[in-house]
Amino acid sequence: MRLEAIRQALAALAVTEEVEVVKIIPAPKPAEGEEAAKPTEVREKVSQTMLFTPDYKKKGFHLDIKVPPAELPAAAQSLIDQGFFLEAITGVDWPKEGQIEVVYDFNHWDELCRVVVRARTDRDQPAVPTISHIYSGANWHERETHDFFGVKFSGHPDLSPFLLPDDADYHPLRKDFKA
Amino acid sequence: METKELQPSIIHLAPLDQVLAIGRANSLWPMTFGLACCAIEMMAAGASRFDLARFGAEVFRPSPRQCDVMIVAGTISKKMAPAVKTLYDQMPEPKWVIAMGNCAISGGPFAFEGQYGIIEGADKFLPVDVYIPGCPPRPEALIEGILELEEKVTGSRRWPRVQCG
Amino acid sequence: MNAPVTDKSLAVLDRTAETFVLNLGPQHPATHGVLRVKLTMDGEYIVHAEPVLGYIHRMHEKMGENRTWAQFMPNTGRLDYLGALSYNHGYCLAAERAEGIEVPERAEYIRCITVELNRIASHLLWFGAFVLDLGGFTPLLYAFDDREQILDLLESVTGARLTFCYFRFGGVYNDIDDNFITGAKAFVKRLRSRMPMYHDLVTKNIILIKRLKDIGPLSQELCRRYGATGPVLRGSGVCFDVRKHEPYSVYPEFDFDIPVYHECDSMARYMVRMDEIEQSLRIVEQGLDKLPDGPVMAAKAPKILKPAKGDYYAAVEAARGSFGIRVVSDGTNTPYRLKLRSPTFSNLSLFSEACQGMILPDALALMGTLDLVIPEIDR
Repeated sequence: MRLEAIRQALAALAVTEEVEVVKIIPAPKPAEGEEAAKPTEVREKVSQTMLFTPDYKKKGFHLDIKVPPAELPAAAQSLIDQGFFLEAITGVDWPKEGQIEVVYDFNHWDELCRVVVRARTDRDQPAVPTISHIYSGANWHERETHDFFGVKFSGHPDLSPFLLPDDADYHPLRKDFKA
Repeated sequence: METKELQPSIIHLAPLDQVLAIGRANSLWPMTFGLACCAIEMMAAGASRFDLARFGAEVFRPSPRQCDVMIVAGTISKKMAPAVKTLYDQMPEPKWVIAMGNCAISGGPFAFEGQYGIIEGADKFLPVDVYIPGCPPRPEALIEGILELEEKVTGSRRWPRVQCG
Repeated sequence: MNAPVTDKSLAVLDRTAETFVLNLGPQHPATHGVLRVKLTMDGEYIVHAEPVLGYIHRMHEKMGENRTWAQFMPNTGRLDYLGALSYNHGYCLAAERAEGIEVPERAEYIRCITVELNRIASHLLWFGAFVLDLGGFTPLLYAFDDREQILDLLESVTGARLTFCYFRFGGVYNDIDDNFITGAKAFVKRLRSRMPMYHDLVTKNIILIKRLKDIGPLSQELCRRYGATGPVLRGSGVCFDVRKHEPYSVYPEFDFDIPVYHECDSMARYMVRMDEIEQSLRIVEQGLDKLPDGPVMAAKAPKILKPAKGDYYAAVEAARGSFGIRVVSDGTNTPYRLKLRSPTFSNLSLFSEACQGMILPDALALMGTLDLVIPEIDR
């Protein structure tokens, strides 16, 4: 029930992306005596709304949504309105795509409902808006993500080094980091 | 802070020095200074079962100015190292350093290629007297380390060595 | 001793020109390790507190990315060294979920029994150290006496006293024997008979009550904004425990309660932990009675993990709150990304807001009830 409510609230924010889908078309049944032809693979570009409800047993979360960075505060606002709390914020570096993914984990006290909100930003100039004015706890998580990945959270009150030494100018969890 | 070269005293009284050494060795005052996991074993060594008081080393002082021994119990990160150095400098002479646990000896499990955060061993910037290996060392090992330090101070061992195996 | 910002203390706070900065830590006995708090003080009152972290940042997340799945296991024992087995458990759950490994029932029971024993050990150490912060030395000696009994038991099966690395993907490393079972049963009896003594000695002590009652109130709204979990949240009247809320392992098989107090003050958080010791004893007792026979390791557990691409999340209730772990796999034998969501990180983040206008000794009592383990915050 909670899941359905938050799904509806967030659905409008989800991005629509061109996703390459591999379709396997089975070969027609071979006539007798003939060898069976291999099934053909067809790659198609399909536009898809990036809002999934994965199998909880397999993945460990109920709702997985990708939003454009600008919509993060709106998503956080509708989550806090429904009583969700923030578990963590983290980044994932994808150098091949030239992107950094910022991942937000939410959970609810009363009913088990884990929501994952993702946003991707450019790897060279990573920036997403802060949600620390909505979830005060996000302040530290965002500082940590800035430390590790160099993601600028615009509007954040203080992005000085947090877990790293005061003079640190490196971002150690980027894949190309060398000590 | 400026450190002055201290003049060694002109007259040395060998018997007096020895008496002082025995006095110091039998009541070492360690600093209440824990960095990580090893600090818990240090607490355990001071608490009921292992009772470091039996060896006169239970007076844990929170202030470096009242301490003889610094037990470096845990990983020294690059951010923490200046603070550790300051604490060591604030201790009055004579003073000793025990490196407790693998992290304080060599970086332990956290020394790997490409590491960016830790100092690989307390002896990179402190004169370490006794090394106690383990991850973390058992309280008995810490007690043995203290006895070892006593031996270093006085030149002779107060307690018999336990033969193992 | 008044915790909330009263009119009187606000009047004091107005004189901002007369504030001074007090540096608490990184070496301070009351900060339980290497936490540093920059305090702006007006006399005895705290105007602003800023925790400074990173003094024991040990690069766990970076290490996760450059070793195999199994090789990261010892790290989980060094995150929160007081409740290491919960962290073992959390990591195992995540990896088992990613790879789809089934764990035999006996192993699940052993996991629950050892984790609960570890939880009691953690709470006992917290109890001793917390009362020590408030100025009472003796309870520490009592608490360590009982804690050593647990460590003896755990050492006999895991081989370690503190930084356990006992769980494996698909089970546990070592089966428990009859000595452990009789020892654990005797321990349950012993601690149960000693709990009234703890309450007589400490809980009913007028000094403790004066130091904790109505001190450091944390409202539910504050907890939600900061994502506080564990005993901190349960002391604020929210019944949230991952063991009940998101049942994992064989916890649904056990009959136990979640202690919840609605006073929101430091005393409530103290009482939650004391009651949790008794609830954990119940779980251990039931686990030992119900312990099934069978293998302790899944027969088909792969030696080298290569989970399918994608990300997976798993959470457990550690001694300090909800420990979550997010793993991102790229299909190879090393994790692509490993995020550790540590409970005290979120719990400490509310300290700055909660301690405003308090006097310093009360703030230290509040900090004590947050039950900080710094290496787990800094990771």
